[in-house]
Amino acid sequence: MTALALARFDDEGPYLRARARLLGAERRIVGEWLPYAADSLGHGEGERGIRFGVVLTGLAGGAALLALTAWSAIVAYPFDSGGRPLWSWPAFLPAPIEFGALTAAIGGMILFFRRARLTRLHDAAFDFPEVAEASAGAFVLAVGCDAGEDANAVLSLLAETGAVHSRLVTR
Amino acid sequence: MNLAHEVATTRRWTLPSVKTLTDVTDIVAGPLVDRRAGPRWWIAVGFALAGTGVGALAIGFSLMRGVGLWGNNSAVVWGFPIANYVWWIGIGNAGTLISSLLLLTRQRWRASINRFAEAMTLFAVSMAGIFPILHLGRPMYFYWMAPYPNTMQLWPQWRSALVWDFWAIVSYLLFSLLFFYVGLVPDLATLRDRPGSRGWRRFWGLLAMGWQGTPAQWRAQEKLHRTLAAIAVPLVCSVHSIVGLDFAASLMPGWTESVFPPYFVVGALFSGFAVVVLLALSLRWALKLEGLIVPAHFDAMARVILAAGIVMGASYAAEWFSAWFGGEAADQRVVAYEFGGDYWPFYWAMLACNVAAPQLFWIKRLRTSVPVLIGVALAVLVGMWLERILIIAETLSIGYLPSFWRTYAPTLVDGLILGGTICAFVLLMLLFARVLPVVSMHEVRKLVADER
Repeated sequence: MTALALARFDDEGPYLRARARLLGAERRIVGEWLPYAADSLGHGEGERGIRFGVVLTGLAGGAALLALTAWSAIVAYPFDSGGRPLWSWPAFLPAPIEFGALTAAIGGMILFFRRARLTRLHDAAFDFPEVAEASAGAFVLAVGCDAGEDANAVLSLLAETGAVHSRLVTR
Repeated sequence: MNLAHEVATTRRWTLPSVKTLTDVTDIVAGPLVDRRAGPRWWIAVGFALAGTGVGALAIGFSLMRGVGLWGNNSAVVWGFPIANYVWWIGIGNAGTLISSLLLLTRQRWRASINRFAEAMTLFAVSMAGIFPILHLGRPMYFYWMAPYPNTMQLWPQWRSALVWDFWAIVSYLLFSLLFFYVGLVPDLATLRDRPGSRGWRRFWGLLAMGWQGTPAQWRAQEKLHRTLAAIAVPLVCSVHSIVGLDFAASLMPGWTESVFPPYFVVGALFSGFAVVVLLALSLRWALKLEGLIVPAHFDAMARVILAAGIVMGASYAAEWFSAWFGGEAADQRVVAYEFGGDYWPFYWAMLACNVAAPQLFWIKRLRTSVPVLIGVALAVLVGMWLERILIIAETLSIGYLPSFWRTYAPTLVDGLILGGTICAFVLLMLLFARVLPVVSMHEVRKLVADER
């Protein structure tokens, strides 16, 4: 039988202490839920490639509109506007710059959804009421306890470090 | 009435009464989930809806009868519609600029004001977008500005400032919407998880897209938010610079000035902060957010308004100086016309509102005085609107060709359309305050944790 120890903390300090103790004791942290982007998060899973993707989609969008502008003004519809050159590049720049910013944001949004694994409206984590408490202001930790492991020792460790609520879920 | 007595000895951006992280959630989400809208909200919605309806009627009347109902004439061809457009887009630019600039410079006080400032952007840009379309004269064909395959094989005139405006408004509005949404996702999850109406929780849950608040999600959200902020700052500057170029790229006395783009950007920040001050005061009072929007916020915003007011004064002086120093008779005539021509009371009023009124904020006590904050913010909004209409009316009334000199007078329909958009903006803000959290809960939670 496997079990899951769930603990709720009211502050970042006790949560970080518990996390450090659990990792030190080589326990498996299988889930973490936070009420804000804590500085202690550091770098890691989730953020990879977002900045690069934003820059790439922005440049691609801007370049595509500039190409369309140039083609339409020079080839498709070569209109003499007051003697100005067909390739009036300074006047062609504003629209691609604006559009490039928009495509950058759209590209970033798609990557954000992928990296944060969003659009999954149903997830097993939502079965635990503690996860809902995290979005209101709590820090929640889920620790895996396999058969043969002392689950009560995990609960004691969580209580020692300042968990205001902890329980064991068996499955 | 002065807020100074509430200022703590050390600068804090939340009051000590906000003790826990869940306090923040209760203060912000409470009015949305737990309480019904009070009679004051319904009365305000009623007035705003009525005003919006009158404005819509004036627009409908204009569409049926044509632009001859407006004060625009053969010389002053831009008139109210373009002045209103520039004024609204200026306010609209400020929300995202304030939010992204303060995020990039790690100004912690943004946490309490960024959400409604960004909402202000969305609604103000939406209002701004109405005017160029109406001003086309044939608004039903506004989509001709977008490139699309058509039977006549026509393409937009990419060299036209009108096409630049089209791309600037559409791109900026959609970009701001995405920027707003990225910051909002965690708070939508908070509303989803809070006991309350099943229908609303489903609505918020759908928008939250399954957000849980895992470390990977926070990292992704923060990375994208900061990256978009880094794009937003130059984007905002470019959008309002393009609006400035509508004037500066022309060949009219008083408009062909290289100072216009930066001068327009500062003007946007100036009028935008004035609206943010008014919104902050209103929301603080109506939603009981005294613990989260503190006097120190007003003090900081008043300082920005003061600085922007000084830059505006310097910009006006640069305009006078370049007319004198350039020696161009038409430019000098426009400057003389500003001070003593047909519109002189409005020009002096503009200087009083935009340059003189903000000087009150040199006095520390006045930066947290509610009546002074309201008075100066309203003065700035009036002054900035006068600036927009005077840029148009003065130059076009007294251009290069004396046979073309005509004065401009708006009509009732002009006024009703402007009033209608103001009411529509207020209506959208009222609806926003009942549907979405007006303060970024997750960012204020972090602030509270840091300040404890």
